[in-house]
Amino acid sequence: MIFFDNASTTKCTKESVEIVTKYLTENYYNPSALYHNALSVKQDLERARQTIIKKLRGEGKIIFTGGGTESDNIALLGSKKIKGGRVIVSSAEHAAIYATANELKARGYEVVFAPVDGNGKVIEEEFIKLLTPSVTLVSIIHVNNETGAMNDIQRLCKLVKSKCPRALFHSDGVQAFGKLEVNLRGAGIDLYSMSAHKIGAPKGVGALYIAKGVSVNPIVYGGGQEGGLRSSTENTAGILAYEKAVIDRYAKLGETEQKLKEIRSYIADNLQNIDGIKIISPLDGSPYILTFTVPRVRGEVMQHALERRGIMVGTGSACASNKASTRIAEALGLQGKYVDGVTRLSFFIENTMEEAEIFVKEYFDVYKELEKYGS
Amino acid sequence: MAVEYNCILIRFGEIFLKGNNRNYFESLLIKNIKNSLSGLNYKFSKTQGRYYIEEFASEDMDEIISRLTKVFGIHSISPTVKVKTDLEEMCKIAYAISPTEGTFRVTVKRADKRFPMTSMEIGAKIGGYMLNKTGGRLKVDLFDYDFELFVDLRESGYSYLFYDKIMGAQGLPTGCSGNAMLLLSGGIDSPVAGYVMAKRGLRIFAIHYHSFPYTSELALQKVKDLAKKLTAYCGDIKLAVVPFTEIQYAIHEHCPEEFMITIMRRFMMRIAERIALKNDCGAIITGEALGQVASQTMQSIQVTNSVVTLPVFRPLIGSDKAEIIDIANKIDTFDISIRPYEDCCTVFLPKNPVIKPKLQDAIEYENRLDIEALIEKAVNDTVTEVISVED
Repeated sequence: MIFFDNASTTKCTKESVEIVTKYLTENYYNPSALYHNALSVKQDLERARQTIIKKLRGEGKIIFTGGGTESDNIALLGSKKIKGGRVIVSSAEHAAIYATANELKARGYEVVFAPVDGNGKVIEEEFIKLLTPSVTLVSIIHVNNETGAMNDIQRLCKLVKSKCPRALFHSDGVQAFGKLEVNLRGAGIDLYSMSAHKIGAPKGVGALYIAKGVSVNPIVYGGGQEGGLRSSTENTAGILAYEKAVIDRYAKLGETEQKLKEIRSYIADNLQNIDGIKIISPLDGSPYILTFTVPRVRGEVMQHALERRGIMVGTGSACASNKASTRIAEALGLQGKYVDGVTRLSFFIENTMEEAEIFVKEYFDVYKELEKYGS
Repeated sequence: MAVEYNCILIRFGEIFLKGNNRNYFESLLIKNIKNSLSGLNYKFSKTQGRYYIEEFASEDMDEIISRLTKVFGIHSISPTVKVKTDLEEMCKIAYAISPTEGTFRVTVKRADKRFPMTSMEIGAKIGGYMLNKTGGRLKVDLFDYDFELFVDLRESGYSYLFYDKIMGAQGLPTGCSGNAMLLLSGGIDSPVAGYVMAKRGLRIFAIHYHSFPYTSELALQKVKDLAKKLTAYCGDIKLAVVPFTEIQYAIHEHCPEEFMITIMRRFMMRIAERIALKNDCGAIITGEALGQVASQTMQSIQVTNSVVTLPVFRPLIGSDKAEIIDIANKIDTFDISIRPYEDCCTVFLPKNPVIKPKLQDAIEYENRLDIEALIEKAVNDTVTEVISVED
């Protein structure tokens, strides 16, 4: 079985699973309790925050959440904003931002979308035009989950801060943190969302970085955990497994990057031979993602056919009748049959060159079989 | 005195009409009732014209009633308090289960003629006790009442006190009309068609055509989920999943584009009939509604119908979409039907399907294919699975 859909989720690593077991069966104490065993769990949690802050090169605090989506929601809905002010998000954001931005719109904010180029990267000249004095919040995805395009969030953030000093800058770093070096402090990024299960840790765990001095209100109320910003007993097992994943990913970041770059270029080079193919992912994008589209076979059909051969890949748009899923394709400027032809391959630490070779062979095989029936 | 409803009374409807067949109908109905209550603890008993469910855990009562309302052949259901026929005891219970203000009447049925009072006298006695107990907040009004207490004195020496008469699913016991094969697509109409025909006593078998890789496993799961919803009414359903891609390829390659659907549907009907006959089904059921889409015009139906000899039941033929959706909502299939997977096989759909196909044309185009071989392969590769009420 070849799993090339790691941007959707990853297999939990053995090391992370061991930690989950340990914190569910041995160190299972509620970190808010007052006895010694609980205190030691609390200390572990604090250490995990520091581990993440350091890797982010941030200055501020980390709150743990139930996932990337929740982090995005707290950042957008809970951050202190100018009433009725302008909110800018990129037009190729993940649904967690897109849908939350729409909610802000319903609550009376002016929401505008920053256009992206064909790779999914925010177009700087267009972005600058949106920076009016009324801007109160900007949210730009760090690594685009559909294409792997990297936004230069440091640069965009500096632009925002120079033109709209009162605006907050948030970035969804779900496909970035643990997969590339991050530096939040230098540019003054205020809020940054992360997710554990994209880097080999369990599902149901996320984190939100809140820079020093940034004011955020809770969207969930209760026992006051996480500094009152995310009430609910902490998922200690998941959080500490996440910490382990962060440490391990960054320890081998260069090595992983090198391997995945080779895999990615090998596949991209070979796929160029397919008539009419468009490689959507930019060459300088995340080595973890390779997205392309073909005019003759629908992405979903290809997905099912590859699955039968033991290869799991992602698609861009799920189904022609499912309009919600064509939002990104439209933002990327795809037209006609290209809208439905999107396939996303996403890699992770365990993927190998041998798998890439098998993939290319099987893909051509399946493609030849399906293309004659058209899409 | 805290009193619990301890017995559910079931009345059955149309099967009264069936004269000599009554025993057969009743045994089916009882079997279906028991099947629908599988997994629950209870005692079933019957008397002339009625069934009783007793000895269940009180917290299961709502679940039992909910399941019984889906069994065809049941006319109505009442949660009752069953008590030894003893007037004093009955008075206390009547008071315990009644509201304490408003207007009411007591309706007594005295099947137990050994009891020394008439219905009127019993009613007056119970009503009087309630009036007395509530100190005037409760008033009797025989015609314009807020609630009606029923008291049934049966020959068994037991009486039943109750307020509610909950409508059952009506219809005929599933299975008493034989077996039929339902073409289950995953859309809104076909599960409703299955439900409507099951109501007339048909045991439902289902067939689904799967076009992997053009339709997904999720689409197949959707069909299984729909069948599962139907089992609450129809009992277990045997679902046949027919691999259909090769046939679609063959038609796509050899026949004119506008005849794609017409010829596809002729194949579907043929395969449905083969599998129907293998399963002792005497009819085919489809969810077609006249004029709804190109393949549901009179001409299209003639062309697709002509490949089979079994009767084809189309219970929705005269229904509007809104009427069909009403039933789909009632039987809880609508939300499943609108999951967005079905349309994924649009790949083979022509831009301009023929609306009034001619039989002769369809036959001519079809003859370019090895019909028998294609059907045989599809039938051989069909996978069946029983979708069960339980699990």
